[in-house]
Amino acid sequence: MSDHLSPVTLNALADGELAGDSLAQANEHLGGCSSCTTSALHQSLLKSATARAGQRYTVPADFQERLMHLAAAESSRAERVERRSPVRSSGSRWGMLGWVTAAVLLFFFGSAWIVQRNLHKVEVASVEHAALVREVFDQHVATLAASLAPQVVSTDRHTVKPWCQGKIPFSFNLPENLPRDTTLDGANLTYLRNQAVAQLLYSIGKHRVSVFVSERPSPGPGDSLADHSGFHVMDFSAGGLEMVAVSDVDPARLAELADAIRRAQAENQQQRK
Amino acid sequence: MTLLRWKREIQESAPQTQVFEELAVPCLASLYNVAFWLSRNGADAEDLVQETFVKALRGFASFQPGSNFKAWIFRILRNTYLTSRSGLAARRTVALEEELGETHESGPVLYPEGAIDRETPELNLIRLNDRAALQAAMESLPAPLLEVILLCDVEEMKYREAATVLEIPIGTVMSRMARARTALRHLLSSPTRTPSLTSNREFRA
Repeated sequence: MSDHLSPVTLNALADGELAGDSLAQANEHLGGCSSCTTSALHQSLLKSATARAGQRYTVPADFQERLMHLAAAESSRAERVERRSPVRSSGSRWGMLGWVTAAVLLFFFGSAWIVQRNLHKVEVASVEHAALVREVFDQHVATLAASLAPQVVSTDRHTVKPWCQGKIPFSFNLPENLPRDTTLDGANLTYLRNQAVAQLLYSIGKHRVSVFVSERPSPGPGDSLADHSGFHVMDFSAGGLEMVAVSDVDPARLAELADAIRRAQAENQQQRK
Repeated sequence: MTLLRWKREIQESAPQTQVFEELAVPCLASLYNVAFWLSRNGADAEDLVQETFVKALRGFASFQPGSNFKAWIFRILRNTYLTSRSGLAARRTVALEEELGETHESGPVLYPEGAIDRETPELNLIRLNDRAALQAAMESLPAPLLEVILLCDVEEMKYREAATVLEIPIGTVMSRMARARTALRHLLSSPTRTPSLTSNREFRA
């Protein structure tokens, strides 16, 4: 084994990498070995010479500027990617498209359902009205066919109205002034749609008229006139009551009687106030 | 008010870029010099440094503040070089350590006495002042030896820093340094001799 310092130790010494005991031992050896001292000196000289010689290439004048532009562009690109990714990522786009599609479908089917429901309501109301027309027609024809006297026979409204009290769960008013050739014949207690109603009997000339008075279950579509087997059925409301007049008389004259009854209900309401 | 995540990140990215530039610009001259030495070509050196900058900027979030930025960016430069055209060409050769039969696990290997020019010829001392001759000798070094010279002598890195950049043990840095300086001395003392190691330019991590 050589007594001289190893090349690795000499290099570490030149590079300042020795410390502690290693450095002390190396220094002690160098103090008594001229050969190693010369080698160590040469290593240091070589190190400083390579350090100088190694500084060989300088950065081109515009290279740093180009690098800074590149760095700025890279930063901008990164910012664009960051800004775009939460909003415009493909996943988000498809997600948004899905929500829009769902909203459109919901709106479409919702609208279709509402229209369908309204059409159904109209259809039901139409069927119910047709059934009412048939029922009042049957009642009216049955009254005419029976040739029976009304349950209460009176031309006096003050007799007919009190007769109805206690028989039906509502009250109504009868007109004092009736259209020309119109007289009150009396009244019956009958049933429409399984509910107790008053059937007022009038005569317009020789035409018999039945006016069915009932509680209005819900706001109706308004006045209406229907024809059924040569009879006219007029549906109107007044004072929270539904009234259906049926007769073979001229519809204009039937309307005059309906107006008189409607006005009487208004007068009744004013009296209540 | 709480900022949206992407707005907060954009606000944070601006100062990050600024910090990166403050750290990287002072290293530019060193990076370019080493890149030129390794690639032996100005255009390739620019490409190498440019790619290093972009990679470092993109990966700056992974840099631990307070740690050695110079070692970090030089490591990126070296890895970029290893995958570059000139780096790949250099890697096609035989392993230097394998050829010399070095074993890193057992620590630095002692060289025979003949490896050290203890006579220190006067010619050597004269040629140390010949900058061009020394640069020519350095150019003749295989890349693994040139690397340690550049990092430890030119960039004045400690062995530990060089080991970090080169991703090798400190013992390997020491042995390479010893071989590099021995090779330089031989090249300077016999300038007409073609060094046997110049054909071996493989990089090993």
